Amino acid sequence: MSKRESIIQTKDLNLWYGTTQALIDVNLKMKPNKVTALIGPSGCGKSTLIRCFNRMNDVIPECKVKGQVYYHDKDIYGPGVDAVEIRKKIGMVFQKPNPFPKSIFENIAYGPRVQGVNNRKKLESIVEKSLKNAGLWEEAKDRLEDSAMGLSGGQQQRLCIARSLAVEPEIILMDEPCSALDPIATAKIEELIRDLVKRYTVVIVTHNMQQAARVSDYTAYMYLGKMIEFGETTQIFENPQEELTENYITGRFG
Amino acid sequence: MVKEFHDALDALSQKVLEMGRLSEEMLNNAVLSLRDMDVELAQNVLAKKACISEMDAEIEEEALRILTLFNPMASDMRRIAAVLKMITYLARIGRYGKDIAKITVELAGQPHVKKLVSIPYMASEVGFLIRDSLKAFEEETIEPLKDFTEREKNIDELRYSIFRECLTYMMEDSKTITRCTRYIMVARYLERCGDHAVKMGEKIHYMITGEHIDLDPTGPETCPGT
Repeated sequence: MSKRESIIQTKDLNLWYGTTQALIDVNLKMKPNKVTALIGPSGCGKSTLIRCFNRMNDVIPECKVKGQVYYHDKDIYGPGVDAVEIRKKIGMVFQKPNPFPKSIFENIAYGPRVQGVNNRKKLESIVEKSLKNAGLWEEAKDRLEDSAMGLSGGQQQRLCIARSLAVEPEIILMDEPCSALDPIATAKIEELIRDLVKRYTVVIVTHNMQQAARVSDYTAYMYLGKMIEFGETTQIFENPQEELTENYITGRFG
Repeated sequence: MVKEFHDALDALSQKVLEMGRLSEEMLNNAVLSLRDMDVELAQNVLAKKACISEMDAEIEEEALRILTLFNPMASDMRRIAAVLKMITYLARIGRYGKDIAKITVELAGQPHVKKLVSIPYMASEVGFLIRDSLKAFEEETIEPLKDFTEREKNIDELRYSIFRECLTYMMEDSKTITRCTRYIMVARYLERCGDHAVKMGEKIHYMITGEHIDLDPTGPETCPGT
């Protein structure tokens, strides 16, 4: 697969937090309009890796990156790359829903406003489209001016997804987006992911292997900072080629 | 929880082996009962039919419980998938044992057309196939499956030779028809048991390697239009 066929590609990616190496020679190619799941035990580097894709690790002091992360053909760690521009195209949703303490409308409109969109009509259309794409429109349309903090956990998480969609990203990174949600809210997010992937590329970190099996097209298994196995999800969960992967997904780990 | 899961999976595998041994024993004893016209042994086989049905239901229920509670993955998932198919094949083998035992009871009191040699030989070949399947399952090795296709072919040949032999007896003497048609049925049952053992082998191969293979001597079948 050439760089062109992959939307994100890492090349010999190494990362250190101070003297601790968290990623070791990670090579990975992710296809557009697919869901890629990153799985592995706690501390294996999956959250670190996903945060490399939009340079979220930049804010961590003493974090050092070596190697390349290509977004299309551009090395996002290359000279002169604006991390803010990258984050516009590569949005992120976190483990705990983190809406701004503002109205539902303002949460979504925030990003476009920062980008200079001030026309009310235009903002309304962005808010409606984003909420629809995040499957929250029907529940939120009559309470757009209410505080986002009044939404349920699952709704807040979909709001955060809508917020990331408002700036028209190409990729959505999700770091354990369902771990703070109940099974019904989780099912809604999972359905949403399958819907989103028609228009976006999704990378999801999850500890729930059934979730990875349900929502992803490709799965990467990481262990101690290394990419152990990457392949089609059905192959990884039905017939993994690496013993380490097998041991982890069958619970024989450690 | 992980320990509970693996203990449950091990216990399930042991139950499958137990069921396998019982099915094989039923088939073997049924053929012995026919060879020796031993009605008591035949009745013993008939009584075991209920045990096979019970084990079939019990293992299926347990396999489904494990699936629901633990969502097994990879080789564990493949083991459950193999088990669910194996118990169907084993139950059928046991049932053919019952069918052969019934024939012993039907024919009781009549002498054999001639000394039964081919049928017990065929039964022993089928028995080896079943035992080798179970061995592959127990030891998680595909080694015992390696010549299954050839052995299955030989079993098919044995069935045809029994059929042709019986045909000559029936043409020579119509009084042998009742017995000979039963021998032909028994050969057919044994051949089916051989097929089931081979099918089990395929599932066990999948369980061990993750690859689906076709051990059937006639080769893979394709659905028309695909």
